[in-house]
Amino acid sequence: MPVAVAPYGQGQAQPSCFDRVKMGFMMGFAVGMAAGAMFGTFSCLRIGMRGRELMGGVGKTMMQSGGTFGTFMAIGMGIRC
Amino acid sequence: MEEYAREPCPWRIVDDCGGAFTMGAIGGGIFQAVKGFRNAPSGMNHRMRGSMTAIKTRAPQLGGSFAVWGGLFSMIDCGLVKVRGKEDPWNSITSGAMTGAILAARNGPVAMVGSAAMGGILLALIEGAGIMLSRFASSQFPTGPQFAEEPAPAPMPAAPFGDYRQYQ
Repeated sequence: MPVAVAPYGQGQAQPSCFDRVKMGFMMGFAVGMAAGAMFGTFSCLRIGMRGRELMGGVGKTMMQSGGTFGTFMAIGMGIRC
Repeated sequence: MEEYAREPCPWRIVDDCGGAFTMGAIGGGIFQAVKGFRNAPSGMNHRMRGSMTAIKTRAPQLGGSFAVWGGLFSMIDCGLVKVRGKEDPWNSITSGAMTGAILAARNGPVAMVGSAAMGGILLALIEGAGIMLSRFASSQFPTGPQFAEEPAPAPMPAAPFGDYRQYQ
């Protein structure tokens, strides 16, 4: 890419592959956390957790699904660049 | 899967199907490697072999189910694009829900509703994240979202699905 088309410094450059993967991971992590918060609340309530235990269970589900989603999103970004 | 210039419609099905298979196979490989490693009997040799076996049996399955999801999803997405004549986040959300419902069809109506709700919520979250991301990116960089600026695909000579502009 010629330098002349970059008036905003590095802003004009295409984000590198690693940047895209990182962004995909962050986005997947956020989505997974939100989804885990919802579905985790339901399933933990269903198996009869209440109070402090419920908080722990929901947090664990959120982290798990965030990690899973983030990994898959990162791969999905990685295979397309 | 959402925030770059997507393929035009009929080819998007193939693209999503293959992409989803690859994604599921690689991701399943990673997770199954860890799982097989932990579940195998102790001893490095056993553990390596256990993780290898787990990858070989489970990763293609996971890739296959991802591919089914992705293919059906973008098929319904393209159908909705054709029927509604526009392309917006509601298409994705609806097709996510419908995909969930169709794939759970053999488990009865209750499972269908649950699975449809799950698919719809998931796709709504993903779309929301994509919209927020592009808004954030366009507020940060004065030239607009840098991520979405792939070189535009060559316009198809005769577009059988009409117009594909984004109407968000």
